[in-house]
Amino acid sequence: MSDLTEAARPAARAPARPGRLDFLVNRRGWLGSMMIAPAVLYILLVVGVPFFLALYYSLTDITAGSRTLHFVGLRNFSAILDSPKFLTALRNTFVFAIGSQVLVLVLATVLALALTKDFRGKWLVRLLILLPWVAPMSLGSIGWLWILDSIYSVINWTLEAVGLIRPDNWPMYLGKPYLAMMSVIGVHVWRLLPLATVILLAGLTSIPQEIHDAAQVDGASPWHHLVQITLPLVRPIMLVATLFGLVFAFTDMIVIFVLTRGGPYDTTQVLSTLAFFTGIQGGDLAEGAAIAVFLFPLLVVVAILFLRIARRTEVV
Amino acid sequence: MDGQRVNRRQFIKATGAGTLATGIGANIIVPGRARAAKKTLKILQWVHFVPAYDEWFNKKLAKEWGEKNDTEVIVDNIGIAGINPRATAEVSAQKGHDLFLFNWPPPTFEEQTVDMKDVYQELEKKLGKPIDLCVKSTYNPKTKKYFAFSPSFTPDPVNYRQDLFSQVGMPNGPKTWDEVRTVGAKIKKDTGHPVGVGLANEIDTAMALRTIMYAHGAHEQDANGNLTLNSKQTLETIKFVTALFKEAMTDEVFTWDASSNNRAMIAGKLSLALNAISITRTAEKQDPAISAKIQLTKALKGPVRAIGLEHVMDCYVVWKFAENIEGAKKFLVDYTTNFHDAFVAGEFYDFPCWPKTVPDITKLISNDPKAHPPDKYKVLDDVLNWATNVGYPGYANAAIDEIYSTWVLNVMFAKAASGAASPEDALKEADSQCRRIFAKWKEKKMV
Repeated sequence: MSDLTEAARPAARAPARPGRLDFLVNRRGWLGSMMIAPAVLYILLVVGVPFFLALYYSLTDITAGSRTLHFVGLRNFSAILDSPKFLTALRNTFVFAIGSQVLVLVLATVLALALTKDFRGKWLVRLLILLPWVAPMSLGSIGWLWILDSIYSVINWTLEAVGLIRPDNWPMYLGKPYLAMMSVIGVHVWRLLPLATVILLAGLTSIPQEIHDAAQVDGASPWHHLVQITLPLVRPIMLVATLFGLVFAFTDMIVIFVLTRGGPYDTTQVLSTLAFFTGIQGGDLAEGAAIAVFLFPLLVVVAILFLRIARRTEVV
Repeated sequence: MDGQRVNRRQFIKATGAGTLATGIGANIIVPGRARAAKKTLKILQWVHFVPAYDEWFNKKLAKEWGEKNDTEVIVDNIGIAGINPRATAEVSAQKGHDLFLFNWPPPTFEEQTVDMKDVYQELEKKLGKPIDLCVKSTYNPKTKKYFAFSPSFTPDPVNYRQDLFSQVGMPNGPKTWDEVRTVGAKIKKDTGHPVGVGLANEIDTAMALRTIMYAHGAHEQDANGNLTLNSKQTLETIKFVTALFKEAMTDEVFTWDASSNNRAMIAGKLSLALNAISITRTAEKQDPAISAKIQLTKALKGPVRAIGLEHVMDCYVVWKFAENIEGAKKFLVDYTTNFHDAFVAGEFYDFPCWPKTVPDITKLISNDPKAHPPDKYKVLDDVLNWATNVGYPGYANAAIDEIYSTWVLNVMFAKAASGAASPEDALKEADSQCRRIFAKWKEKKMV
């Protein structure tokens, strides 16, 4: 019996020799840093380096065709502040960013609230909501360019077909200043809505069910439930979503570049497109860089403010 | 090896050694194989509007020239919107193509390009002098440098609907800008077909509005590069365009991109547009019925002159950091000398800057079996006499380039036409911007 037991027992293994990298792998905290390192490196290289380069260029006289540059201090910034084109673009940037974010916030809240309920076809609704985020922005913008086209607009074709407009008075979505701004805001909202909805949905589903039950027991109306319980609890998440959206909106170029190129007559020109036209098309890299980084201090303040408010309103 | 498991360390060792052996092994096994030290010539240009041109250039010309000159010719084609960003990137990296084609004069990149004086001189010996437009687009009189080389350009004729203009007694189309305004208004009122001169932030608008300006005697600068935008003639031109818009056009023109006038003309919506022959060539392929109705006419006369702009100015640069500068220059000389083939392959889209390279140009354009009628393009036989450069009567310099690229004049005309600003205020604002731009580039000593 003992022989069988002996035979059945697996041969004892010799203890493993320590590997060369064990002192790193087993070090507390090292593995986490190693995992996040590629992402940090990516952000440093793809975001950090260009950003600091742009800051540097904005203080020089560099052009697209020159490799020599001279420090000129804040001359580029004072020059752009004298330019009516820049001031128009600055105003348009705020209109575009704030306008689109208000819409995103309201619509995303409605969608997220709807998606917390169970209903038939919920998976399809989720898929449709996510689709704009999945498509490359440039392709989506080109699609919208055709939808809003002056000749082939499917919206106008449909409106004419049902008799709501005449062939000789088609709305020119990209040709009238207010319509053009509404169009670019609309496309931007279409693009950002999925992200905001998903973030808000995550916030809503993290609210403990007991709180909803308690509110129901106490007889809170749906409106009071929403305004005094749900929204305050998702406020931190909402602020983060708004911050993301604002940063995207302040820096977005693709929608306006594809749809209007800043027209009609600069009424949709924003800082990012003006920076591109001035710096890359026009060759004045230094002035383009100054336009591009102009809002950086403001965005930093906004980001800090939002994150502090979000932290303070977190319910532990 | 049954039952023996390979651990992670052994696996990595084995595969690493195998990879290393494969890399070295090729050289050990075939030690006599030498790497061919063939020259390369890298060319970057746009995706040509005429696909047959790229087919000819990339697969025939590049291949044959490469074989003849023991050079591997690599041609990359990109969309027109990517040209400036790509050029900026190559300059920044100090690495890229040997030959780089811009579809407009690139004075901003002068510091990075080799002087093409020798290419011009060699071709002048063979072919005589090039047209003035070519020199004005590629030469900087301040630095006395040919910063680019232009073998060809694309004319910008007037495309008009012969059937519509015939109804008002003009079967050969309008001859003056005033006729475009008065007759164009009548056609719009009677048939619902407006005139199509863009008022948007895009290149066709930029060209068309300068055509009207120069015909009215208004200019961004004089022959010596001094800013002259703020003039009585410019104000008159703004008022003319405002009246043209109100009487003969629609709001659609504010929405346009570079292809919109093409689409609108081929869709049968417009009575007239200024464009390269891309409209007519597309119509020939897609809609022969409309093709027969769209005809061409020469530059229209304004109060001062009849003049048209180039629609595309093909300007090759050779970067200072190019790896094969001599090969690039030789390619340009050979390409230009034999430009006849390019003219035919491009379906007459690109006209020669050296007239002698296409001596039978009149014969070719007077009898094109694809055209409706075959002599449709005959009106272009003297285009070398009425096409001019952006910045006329001066040179295409960096300030003119930035004014063009940031749509300063487009916005000026659009604001006045839409009523967003009075003509005087629109001109004042544009002039202020132009002053700033000129001052900036003068300080950089490029103007």
